[in-house]
Amino acid sequence: MTRRRSRVVILLFASAREALGRGTLDWPVSPDGVRADALVRALARTYPRLGPALRTSRFVHNGEYLHDLSTPIRPGDEFAVHPPYGGG
Amino acid sequence: MSVRLTDRAFTVAGAMRMLEGPGLGGVVVFAGRVRPDRGRAGRVFALDYEAHRAPALRRLAAIEREARARFGAGRVVLWHRVGRLKVGEISVVVGAACAHRAAAFDAARFLIDELKASVPIWKTERARPVRRPRRRPGRARERSTG
Repeated sequence: MTRRRSRVVILLFASAREALGRGTLDWPVSPDGVRADALVRALARTYPRLGPALRTSRFVHNGEYLHDLSTPIRPGDEFAVHPPYGGG
Repeated sequence: MSVRLTDRAFTVAGAMRMLEGPGLGGVVVFAGRVRPDRGRAGRVFALDYEAHRAPALRRLAAIEREARARFGAGRVVLWHRVGRLKVGEISVVVGAACAHRAAAFDAARFLIDELKASVPIWKTERARPVRRPRRRPGRARERSTG
């Protein structure tokens, strides 16, 4: 439980998932959390293959679209990477 | 309200049943099928559909509400499959039932356009390389002289 509370669950879909070969990441964050834009930059640094998908994606924080990238992402939160949609 | 995100098959006939209602004389249904496209990876034999389920269902419900408000649709269907679908299978059905045809056409167009643009659903092509038969020089000569 303690371990989960100090981490953010990152969900990757479509091209983001295919770039990394996995659909979820358990991302460590400090107890105060991290800004969304800093989290995205850290993801791109750690996984350069994710870069193209991150540049074209929308982000969803705890099920809600993120409009302000200064939003703090806190331990226990869910952060989803949504590449351009392709339903139909 | 009829919004579905499901790994089970559905039919246009089923959608038509959902779109019945008093005074709803104009009904437009659109169905999308998996095409056997040919791309760089070969010929498509299936599409894998995935969705971020909770936001997708919320967005589908919002599209439905908007179609009712903007076009006066009395009944709306917004159904989408997830999982692996083979060529020919129906991946999406949208439909609108209104009093008259013009509003029903507009509403159905709105439904599919909004679904494609704003609902977190993705598809990944599954393709097989297309094999081309090798030419055998001897036979080619035989044919050319025949």
